[in-house]
Formats: sequence, structure tokens, C-alpha cells
Amino acid sequence: MQAQKTGDGEQELYAAHQKIYPREVTGYFTRLRMLSVVVLLGIYYLTPLLRWDGRQALLFDLPARKFYIFGLTLWPQDFIYLAALLILAGLSLFFFTALVGRVWCGYACPQTVWTEAYLWMERKIEGKRSKRMKLDKAPNSAAKIRTKALKHTVWIIFSLWTGFTFVGYFTPIDQLAAKLFSASLGPWETFWILFYSFATYGNAGFMREQVCKYMCPYARFQSAMFDSDTLIVAYHPERGEPRGSRRRGTDLQKAGLGDCIDCNVCVQVCPTGIDIRDGLQYECIACSACIDACDEIMDKVSYPRGLIRYTTENSAQGKKQHILRPRVIVYAAILLILCGTLLTNLLLRVPLELDVIRDRNTLYRETREGLIENVYTLKILNMDSKPHQYTLTADGIDGMKLVTDEPEIVVPAGAVQELIVRLQADEFNMESRSVAVNFYLQANEANHLKTVEEARFVGPGKT
Amino acid sequence: MQAPIPDNMPRSHLVISVLWPSFGTAIIATGLFFSAFHPRDLVPFDLDIDVSPIAAYSIGFFLFWLLGIVSSYGTLYFTISNARFVGNQEN
Repeated sequence: MQAQKTGDGEQELYAAHQKIYPREVTGYFTRLRMLSVVVLLGIYYLTPLLRWDGRQALLFDLPARKFYIFGLTLWPQDFIYLAALLILAGLSLFFFTALVGRVWCGYACPQTVWTEAYLWMERKIEGKRSKRMKLDKAPNSAAKIRTKALKHTVWIIFSLWTGFTFVGYFTPIDQLAAKLFSASLGPWETFWILFYSFATYGNAGFMREQVCKYMCPYARFQSAMFDSDTLIVAYHPERGEPRGSRRRGTDLQKAGLGDCIDCNVCVQVCPTGIDIRDGLQYECIACSACIDACDEIMDKVSYPRGLIRYTTENSAQGKKQHILRPRVIVYAAILLILCGTLLTNLLLRVPLELDVIRDRNTLYRETREGLIENVYTLKILNMDSKPHQYTLTADGIDGMKLVTDEPEIVVPAGAVQELIVRLQADEFNMESRSVAVNFYLQANEANHLKTVEEARFVGPGKT
Repeated sequence: MQAPIPDNMPRSHLVISVLWPSFGTAIIATGLFFSAFHPRDLVPFDLDIDVSPIAAYSIGFFLFWLLGIVSSYGTLYFTISNARFVGNQEN
């Protein structure tokens, strides 16, 4: 869909969608972009295959409700860490946007990365831009159907692989593969593989730049993070205008022409189908394809490079450029503080939890020795990757005794153990009817694995 | 006054403007909800239903998505009908 100007100067927002055929580019930034695409796709497809301690290194094990991130195991209780991680990711996006503009869009966004991959397959099968346009316009023929069928088959296989890998992040990928090859995939696993494959196929094969233009919230609000010192892709109108075609060796001053030869290559390479010479536009994903394309043309006509280049509003206007400015410093400071807090918390995190539930049926009872007894159900949650033996103690009332039927408390790795314990105390030592007591749980061989939990001890009350 | 929804806005954009934000919300809601509750604890009246966790999460996700769709569609519906109402009054 292209924005078109109407006669009264108002923009017509919705015109019929026109398919964009990005022309192939070569050059420095394109190579950088392709490198980014290959590395990111590599990370996506290979990460689930990594192993750690005999299990999948990165696994968001939904059935078992545990997230394994290399050496770290997160439980539903640790949800806050994941939330913090997401906030961190969001803030980093703010920071990098303020500093280098929409580098995320052009180089790292999954939408861009997969679109590039699908475009690459399309080019390998259907050929260059002009060939692709001709093929689409041509009437149906056996050759056309064959080419199209081949393209879609390759796309669908790649999509299915993508969907399979995606589900492999949530359910162990080796088991998933085994189930796939023995045709015993569960209905929901099958559904999510197909769902994600379909989304990939649709987004990278067909929707492409429309996702950026109509569905991406970031594209709409990124301008809030921009200032005059943010890196943008821009055309140099003072140098380029008036644009126009010319013969080789024309005296530009005499002909009254700028450096832009109006070859339109910058428009043809644009994956979002805009003309960068119209100025900064929200559709621009800063992929820098037009920079490489224009530089190549400038080389051909022996003009200096950089008619379209990475610049900032300030430096384009010949003003001083600031890299460190309040906005960047504030984003960086918040980012550092959050990063530090998260790391400290993760390092100090004790993978042990103790829940104490007082027996609800009886408030208290008296033992034969005349002591007051309260019964508690303890839930011990060992969130560590190793089994541990624990020592349980309690205090809060002088001479209080802790009684349990279990000779020793051993909890396997990642398991919850219930334990019934009784506290016995002399009524004489109780200061009031209800006294706060503390349960202390300590792992025997690991000093740092300890936790404390408060509970109430109830008696008949002073008479 | 200019109507906030152009008449020539393609239907596909309206559909996406309902489906897409609710999809994102459903992901967040599903994550929050199932971090707090185990699907096993949600079976009412001690019914003996054997639902795998993945099935429970998936059904939960679709219920949240449906809820979001209702909300997003409501916003869209009122925006369009209000815009028409205001437009009629001005004419």
C-alpha cells in the first residue's frame, strides 16, 4: 500500500496495495545486514539444540512449569525476573533508538530478518527484480506454475522448520523430533507448530513491509525517542537537487543540476517502497539499502559517495553533533540500574522456599505433659538443580520443642516436599495468646541455602 | 470534523486492528495467569478431567484472546458509531 498525494495536498491514506519488488543490492551496509540476518537466524535455529547439564540449555518447560536458562532454573514464583528481563529489553530498545535510530528495524527485528531470508529464497528461485515482476504479470503457464510451486514449497518447508523450532523452545526438542518422526505428535503441539509456521509464512512471504507499516507499534512511537542527534538515513537535498538525468560529463553548474541523476534505484531497492528523497518517513526502517544502492551509482558516474547517508539532523544542517546528551544518559542510567538490580537479585537468589500452613482444624491441644501443641504443614520447595538434606529449627518461645515424625528432611532437585511438624511450648512462657514463631530451614552442605518463615503459635491465653 | 476512521480503510486493516492488539494482550495475560495458577487447580467441582498442561495453556490463551477481541471490537465499534453520530449532527 502506498501513500499517494492527492490534488488538494491532503494525503490519501488508503490506496490499493501494490506489491513491492525490492531490487537486489550489494555494498557495505548490505553485507553487515546479511551478517546480522545469518547470525540471528543461526541463534534462533541452533539454541534449542544446545545442551547443559544433560538437558536442553534453553527450555521454557511449560508442562513442568520450569524455565531453564543455562545454569538457571526459574519457577513460576520467579516470574518477576522474566518481567524485569522484558522491561530491560524494552529499555534497551529505547536506548539504542535514541543513539542510533531504527537500527533494530533494519538489522535485528524478526520481521526484517525472516523477510530477508524469504526474499533471498524468492530471488534464488524467481530471479532478479525485473524477472520477478515479469513473471507475476505473465499469464499462467506450466513454467510459471512450476516456479511458483517450487518457491512456495521451499517457503513452507522453511516455515515448518521455524514452527518446529519455536515449539522446541517450550517442549524438549529431542522428544519433539522423536514424536514427529514416529508420527505421534500431540494435537496441541501439532497445532502450535502449524500456527507458528503459518504466521512465519504469511508475515515473511506476503505481509512483509505491511507489518511494519500497519501492525508495528514501535514504528508509530519511535519518533518519541528521536531527537536531532539520532542517527537517521537521509538524502542530501542541497547536494542532490535539482535532480535530473544527464549525459556523462555534463557541466552541472551550467545545466543547473544537482548530483541526483534521478535513476530511481534508491526507490527500487527500498523494502518498504518509499522514496527517501521525500525526507524522513515513518515507513523507513533504516535498512540502508538505499545508501548502498546510491553509493554504487555515484561510483559509476564518478560523483562522491554519500548523497544518501547515515547522518543526524544536526550534522545534516551543519550543526554540532552530540552523542552524549541528557536523553541518552538518562536511558543509559536507568538501564544500568535495572541491569545491576536484576543481576544482584539473581546472584543472591536462594533456590529454596518454605511455606508454613497452620492446621486449620484445631487451634491448639494439650499434650500429656501439659504442654501446648500447635500443628503445622510445611511445604519445602527445593528450586536448586541438586537434591539437598535440610535441618529444620524453630524459635520464638523459651523452651519450645519441634517434633516431627520424619527422621531427616531430604528434598529431590526441583521438588516440593510436605512435612507435618508440631511445636510444643509451656503456656507459662507465652507472652500472649498468640505468639510469632520462626521456622529456620538450612541445607546441610550448602551454607547459603537457608530461609526463614514466620508463623503464629496459639495457646489458651493468660487467665 | 474529520472522521477518525476513513471510509476507505480496507476491511483487512479493521480486522487486524482488532485481532492484533488482543493477540499481544492474550500472550501477556496467559503468562501472568498461569504463573499464578496451576491448571490442575482450576478444574471445578473436583471433576475428573484429564487435560494436559499444554492443552490448558492453549485453551487459556484462546479464551484471553477472545476476551481481548471483544474489548478491541467494542472500542472500534464505538469509535466508528460515535464518529458517524458526530458527523450526522454536524451535517
